[in-house]
Amino acid sequence: MAADKTTRSETFPSGIASVGLGEVEREVPLDDPPPLPPNAGLAVIGKSVPRQNGRAKVTGATRFTVDVTLPGMLHGRILRSSLPHARVRALDLSAVARHPGIRAVLPVARPEDPVAALVRYIGAPVAAVAAVSQSAAEEAMRLIHVDYERLPFVADMDKAREPAAPLVHDAASAPQGSASGFPAPRGLPLNGNVRGPASDSRGDAAKGFAEADIVVEGEYRTQVQMHCCSEPHAIVADWRADGVTVYMSTQFTAGVRHELAETFGLKLSRVRVIVDGMGGGFGSKSTLGAYGRIAVALSRQAQAPVRLVLDREEEQMDSGNRPGTWQRLRIGARRDGSLTAISLLSYGTAGVALGAGVGNMAQALYACPNFTGAQHDVFINAGPGCAMRAPGNVPGAWGLEQAIDELAERLAIDPLVLRDRIDPSAVRREERRIGAERIGWQKRHAPGADPGPVKRGLGVAQSLWAANVQTNSACEVRVMRDGSVEVLSSVQDIGTGIGTVMAQTVAEVLGLRPEDIALRIGDTEYPAGSPSYGSRTTASITPAARVAAWRVLQSLLREAALALNAAPGDLIARDGRILVRDEPGRSMGFGEAAARLRTDRISAVAARGDDYGGFRRRMEDAALAQQDLGGVQFAEAAVDTETGIVRVERVVAVQDCGRPMNPLQIESQVHGGVVMGLSYALFEERILDQHTGRMVNPNLEQYKLAGAGETPAIEVVLLENYQGQSATDAYGMAEPATISTAPAIANAVYNAIGVRLRSLPMTPAAILAALGKIPARS
Amino acid sequence: MVEAASVLVGQGEAAESGGPAVVGPDPVQITLTVNGVARTIEVEPRMTLAEALRGLLGLTGTKISCGRGACSACTVWLDGATVCSCMMLAIDVGTRSVTTIEGLATGGRLHPVQAAFIEHDALQCAFCTPGIVMSCAALLERTPDPTAEDVQRAIAGHLCRCGTYPHVVAATLAAAKARKA
Amino acid sequence: MNRFAWAHARGIAEAAAAASTTVADAMAAPPGAGGDEMSIVKAGGIDLIDLLKENLLVPAKLVSLKDIPGLDGVVEEQGGGLRIGAMTTLATLADHSVLRRRCPVLADALRGSASAQIRNVATLGGNLLQRPRCWYFRAADYRCLRKGGGHCFALSGENQYHAIFDNGQCAIVHPSTAATVLVALGAAVELANAEGAQRQVLLEDFFVPPHRDVQRENDLKPHEILTAILLPQLPEGLRMAHVKQGERDSFDWPLADVAVAFDLDPEGSCKRAAIILGAAAPVPHRARTAEAALRGRRIDEDTARQAGRAALDGAMPLAKNAYKLPLFEVLVRRAILAAAARQ
Repeated sequence: MAADKTTRSETFPSGIASVGLGEVEREVPLDDPPPLPPNAGLAVIGKSVPRQNGRAKVTGATRFTVDVTLPGMLHGRILRSSLPHARVRALDLSAVARHPGIRAVLPVARPEDPVAALVRYIGAPVAAVAAVSQSAAEEAMRLIHVDYERLPFVADMDKAREPAAPLVHDAASAPQGSASGFPAPRGLPLNGNVRGPASDSRGDAAKGFAEADIVVEGEYRTQVQMHCCSEPHAIVADWRADGVTVYMSTQFTAGVRHELAETFGLKLSRVRVIVDGMGGGFGSKSTLGAYGRIAVALSRQAQAPVRLVLDREEEQMDSGNRPGTWQRLRIGARRDGSLTAISLLSYGTAGVALGAGVGNMAQALYACPNFTGAQHDVFINAGPGCAMRAPGNVPGAWGLEQAIDELAERLAIDPLVLRDRIDPSAVRREERRIGAERIGWQKRHAPGADPGPVKRGLGVAQSLWAANVQTNSACEVRVMRDGSVEVLSSVQDIGTGIGTVMAQTVAEVLGLRPEDIALRIGDTEYPAGSPSYGSRTTASITPAARVAAWRVLQSLLREAALALNAAPGDLIARDGRILVRDEPGRSMGFGEAAARLRTDRISAVAARGDDYGGFRRRMEDAALAQQDLGGVQFAEAAVDTETGIVRVERVVAVQDCGRPMNPLQIESQVHGGVVMGLSYALFEERILDQHTGRMVNPNLEQYKLAGAGETPAIEVVLLENYQGQSATDAYGMAEPATISTAPAIANAVYNAIGVRLRSLPMTPAAILAALGKIPARS
Repeated sequence: MVEAASVLVGQGEAAESGGPAVVGPDPVQITLTVNGVARTIEVEPRMTLAEALRGLLGLTGTKISCGRGACSACTVWLDGATVCSCMMLAIDVGTRSVTTIEGLATGGRLHPVQAAFIEHDALQCAFCTPGIVMSCAALLERTPDPTAEDVQRAIAGHLCRCGTYPHVVAATLAAAKARKA
Repeated sequence: MNRFAWAHARGIAEAAAAASTTVADAMAAPPGAGGDEMSIVKAGGIDLIDLLKENLLVPAKLVSLKDIPGLDGVVEEQGGGLRIGAMTTLATLADHSVLRRRCPVLADALRGSASAQIRNVATLGGNLLQRPRCWYFRAADYRCLRKGGGHCFALSGENQYHAIFDNGQCAIVHPSTAATVLVALGAAVELANAEGAQRQVLLEDFFVPPHRDVQRENDLKPHEILTAILLPQLPEGLRMAHVKQGERDSFDWPLADVAVAFDLDPEGSCKRAAIILGAAAPVPHRARTAEAALRGRRIDEDTARQAGRAALDGAMPLAKNAYKLPLFEVLVRRAILAAAARQ
């Protein structure tokens, strides 16, 4: 019956704008706004609006966590293990407790506890202090006496797999994985240092390989990459009798609030988490972390605020990393390129932690009826890995996208033509078409065909990433009686400019300019917003912002309707005015309408609803959208075959994120993904000394990041891909933008020199070795 | 303004032994000219300029990221030349005038490089941005009409994990144009 | 960083008298030795502050040379040489009109060193005296041979950036790019002590290889100040080039760098040649066989190629740095051809 109906039917634009738009019918909640037209028909959304916090950022006014100073604030410091594996037999904190500048002392390793007495990597926290100054805290480190019993250790993944390898964990201490499957599924067997396999299969791989005309097989390795956030991990914890306030450089204020409540036995109402400026996270600032718990415990003990900022060496040793991996890929195909079977075997190491899988590239990117996969985590005595920008699929793409290119060559099919045959995604098909044109794919020559010592090549690689949505993501929009507007959410701006996108969204609804919208974000006093990880922020918060703005507008229109002597449904908000749709002359200013409000402000809170077409899968507070995110990148590389130096000269990145909300900011994101991927491809590597288990390059000097000089010309092309799935139809971008960079470069290097590099990073040493130019050692 | 070196000599052990005047390791009073204003502070000789700016003068726009001169986030000007303030002792600054990111805009008007950074979105998380802005603004002082390569060279010491380099180059070239207009 | 006192030296002798020890001596001393008295000279301080921050050096006092008059600048000397004050910054030199005119190879090498921020502070004297970047040397956890310990961790460890020559005991490479060029040009250093006595030493002889003393890279004595770098008059028509290759074009240490200088007789045959390899050995490495391969020969692609190969004579790569062999081979060839192409 109509009276019971909670939804209405709406027609949304659907499809890829550059291909041609169609329509799709969706059922939408009754109080959701009408479908948003394609960007071409919008005033603010889809425009390259400058960041709202840009001025603060370029003048140094933005307050980052490291800049927060509270009255009476103490300085925390963590004493860390200097051994890769040891039992702490005794921890003597008596001398440090007597130091006049010390206000709190916290043991972290606990000799009396058989599990907590063990340290398993260099850099593991052993004890912590809070002192009146940073220098007093540093001096205190020398007053803590630790009696270690050295235990055998292993710092290499291959050695850790050997039966006689020292054990990093026992069954009690080994991480278990989780029900969500991230960072690894729960319930996998533990065999020595190996947890797994996490198995996955469909069809009959053996039969598929038997049907193949050609089988390619290769082993691929990736190194450990460090996050290297510009702002170190930092927290200022202020424990008070009535609750705790935490300033933290975090990607998820609302999540940290939950962790704090749980860890310290507090009600959510007693916990507040705040972040203003946030100096980069890339996955490593997703949770409270050990350092966060330590800082709060120190504050509780000292009854004073405590600031704890990791130094760069601590960052490199104990703030997470992208795990290193090894994988063997086999792909079978028929002469026409159709795939008959894929098998994947992988081992990876996240140090003492889990999460070193290679993702779902091999399973899901291409159409293939038969698949079998087994992925393993290997524990070693090294700092724990954690999520890093597209975890899993970055090393996964490194293998798969090279293997597909190899297959194309064996089949004598152009790599793009092969992908056209085996990739079911219409989005990537269009991305390949656009990218090939931009990069000049037709000029691609045979591998190694350039005559001189410097050889150039073109390469392509694709990405696949789930479109994540946080359903626990809300936003409030307020209209004040003076016509001013605020948007509020705990969602945080980690550098993506999400606040500006929210302002655009609200401004579009209210017919205002984005700069008219005041942003209140990064504080759990406001409605709980999305985390900024998993490329889900835009997808999760902008529909909530539009719905909240829409609902608050309806209240305002009711007031305006009285004044304009019109029905509220006939009014629209545009160009700072409220006007009668069919009679634009009848109008009043937005401020005039607001002035008629009965109260000082009106407000609406909205949460992220379900995708209108439904989700593919739901996991507690999060869900997967029906359609994945794609992206295709092309690289042009020059290889000096005499020095082994690879320089990437051009990258064309064609990406999709549903509706692009702010092309300029998205372009910045894509630049970031490409630069990070290039840096991964050519320079970065955690280097562990095998005799001592210590990272020898725990800095930003010998741990090498790409700089301006290595950054190629990057052309970014954004698809508009409408699906009619939410009030904004916008999805994420940050992770897909980095997945395909390294394999695109590797494929370009292959095209340049005719030799395939299967290990990262592609250093001069690796290139010269691949070219057979390094003499055997005498 | 008190000239810093003379303050040091005045406070140091008298040079009766024939040796140089010595101060510290306890805190010593120095006067720094920061953004055109003389600021008298007490520093231990071991305190870096970055720590003094951030901790004692509240000028937190200058950032410390690698702490070793490898990332240049802490870039300030000494007499107009870019330096890593984390690798410079405050006591060693002497009479050279310090310009920080807070001193770049004049009278509420953004420096053309700052304005161009906003327009071209040459910043993301922006932790490294103040340092990069200082380098690009210094470049335009020396080289009013730079090429893209000049900009890349000027920021060769900076690390930006967000990958803003392409927009930084575009913004700086645009700022150069805007300055001439 | 530990606490230290601060002294402003007003003259060279005063500074020399006040500096109790050299950085190398201080770092090789057993922990705690000389702690209360240890005073160290500070020039630009880039390397020194790095060492202090890592707690590799714990001096009681720093003696600043910054305000000593006459220690910076470039002077054209009577005999045609150049005298470069040790306190002259790399940035000043890179843009110095006299240096750019008289020795553009050196000016360019300095312009390509480090970052703009470092060049604005680092001095040429400090650059020559900086300690190696070996990651074992730079980490307090490793008490390596060069720091008075008993073991070189790089020999069996992570040695991808280490020496391919003279690496039997300690496998550091000398970090100064300027040194590669200056040795090729036959530069000398001038040193002064507390008594006001001066000595001049050929830079090449000033550097100390491991077999002479594994704990120092140079022959700076306690109570001695490096006051100037002396560039001899370069012969008319000297062909020079310096090439370096880092993993990155941005701020990075070279994997390899090569400086060559040679002059030709009227027939176009090479009279004398200097070929110096940087980032190859614990001190700038003179590739004598390669130099010999040029002497008396016309410089062409072939000679250059042979010299490149000859430059590897005596190389003993470690487990992870054999890639430096082909790299040096090609850089030597390219440097020779680049020098020959220059008029």
